[in-house]
Amino acid sequence: MSGPSAELVLAPLRSIRRATIIWGVALAVLVAATVSVWPAFKSGSGVSQAIDQLPQGVVQAFGLEGFGTPAGFLRGNLYAFFIPLLLVGVAIYFVSSLTAGEEDAGRLELVFAQPVPRRAVFAGRAVAALACLAVLVVVTALVQWGADAHVHLSINGGRLGATLALSALLALFHGGLAVAVAGFRPRTSVVLGIAFVVAITGMVAALLFPLSAALKPFAHLSPWDWAFAGDPLVNATAPWRYLVLALPAVAMALFGIWAFGRRDIRAA
Amino acid sequence: MVDAAAARTRVQVASTPTAAPLLRVRALVKDYGAVHAVRGIDLDLNRGEVLGFLGPNGSGKSTTIRCILDLLRPTSGRIEVFGMDPRRDGVAIRSRLSYVPGELRLPNRMSCAQVIASIGRLRGGFDPTRRDELAERLKLDLRRPTRQLSTGNRRKLSLLLAFLWPVDLLVLDEPTSGLDPLMQHEFVGLLREARATGATVFLSSHVLSEVQRTADRVVVLRAGRVVAQGTVEELRGRARQRVEVWFEGDVPSYLKDVPGLVDTAVDGHRFTASLTGPIRPLLAFLGSQPVTGMLVEEPDLEEAFLDLYEERA
Repeated sequence: MSGPSAELVLAPLRSIRRATIIWGVALAVLVAATVSVWPAFKSGSGVSQAIDQLPQGVVQAFGLEGFGTPAGFLRGNLYAFFIPLLLVGVAIYFVSSLTAGEEDAGRLELVFAQPVPRRAVFAGRAVAALACLAVLVVVTALVQWGADAHVHLSINGGRLGATLALSALLALFHGGLAVAVAGFRPRTSVVLGIAFVVAITGMVAALLFPLSAALKPFAHLSPWDWAFAGDPLVNATAPWRYLVLALPAVAMALFGIWAFGRRDIRAA
Repeated sequence: MVDAAAARTRVQVASTPTAAPLLRVRALVKDYGAVHAVRGIDLDLNRGEVLGFLGPNGSGKSTTIRCILDLLRPTSGRIEVFGMDPRRDGVAIRSRLSYVPGELRLPNRMSCAQVIASIGRLRGGFDPTRRDELAERLKLDLRRPTRQLSTGNRRKLSLLLAFLWPVDLLVLDEPTSGLDPLMQHEFVGLLREARATGATVFLSSHVLSEVQRTADRVVVLRAGRVVAQGTVEELRGRARQRVEVWFEGDVPSYLKDVPGLVDTAVDGHRFTASLTGPIRPLLAFLGSQPVTGMLVEEPDLEEAFLDLYEERA
């Protein structure tokens, strides 16, 4: 990247550097604290037996199957929804604050008055959000692998990597949606509202719709279902699950960048 | 830190053999839904000229400027800057101009120096000596965080950024708003220096004295339309002049019928009125009258603009 192009990514990166560090620490603490419980849990906490008493639908809905196994433990405590939800929230928040938030506050006017393509400014901010998301995923992965090794939680590295990749792509999907909305309409409330409603609705659909015979088919409309219905911590993940998240994410982001180039820049 | 492009001198640009206006706006319309912000503006800005762009709040000045910079997309009409279309050639156009926004919002958690460095990287570099010189003249502490800047200091930073590069066109939207008189004076000095090296200036301002001192021509907007344009002297010529005449005896009753006299009043032997237009008919009439004294006040420029602003003219 040349100087001006690099600055279009580096400037927004600098502005969310502190938030990225805070989120990284929070994720690291969550993962490390959860994994640190594994030795005590494995040696007979009774939780596993208690879960076995729950109805099968509830166990499935909350990702508690095989809770006594390493994969089940990580799924139930972290990867059924905690880590993916945090990453989704971070992606939406980063995109919203770097695009609609900054434009809404009038802080981009000076940048748009410089000799840089306006779509490049917007795209640079989306890339910066993506880069910070990638950093958080890497931090989560490193802490996870380190903590697993420390407490001898035996988990297939490939499966764990696939789960993290799917979590990241799920976040990317919602980040792409936020880019699309911000490109179309520079209102923070609108971007956050639409992206979070889609994220929460999708999560609820994937977790709870399978409990109802009537609603169960609609669970497959949820990006959460596309990501995790195959239980990636246990089973090999079909390639289409990556693609069905990544391609719409890229398409939505491109749409947002295109739409941004066609509309007015919001004044302070 | 100055690259070849940034170091391009205005002298070279000024020598480009073209008589076309540097900025041409034709039938510019900008609507926000049912709100008509700009309703068909035509204006030209010639090379090397300082154009004062005046009008009350909400008259469409900032909207016009933002259309010129391609921050807003016109509803209809045509804009050419350096002979180029802002929408298609925005990058090339913006590489040759500097802009002071009406209200400067800055990134949080950055110092003034960091903001300048960041904008500098977007423009391909800057001259640190020039930066320091401008900071000293504007009395701006570059180490200060942007979140601690007062309105005046934010304005100083935006002026520093505007004058840091040797551009062909300065687009200034209320550039002295929030500045103390000393800094307003410094701004006029910077403007004159830029002009002396060939820069063209598009100056939106509420400060009439500033426009009077710096502008070659003035365009006045009201409610999204151009209501007057010309030199400052031409506009001053349109202003009302206060006239007082003393007579030996009674004031002639038909004096009030002299063309151009309005707001007439008689107080004993004294006649007062406002004169719009040429003074010759009044002088011709008074030449045959027993006049003992006469006072004609200098046209008030501010009054002239208020007339234009308030639809009295």
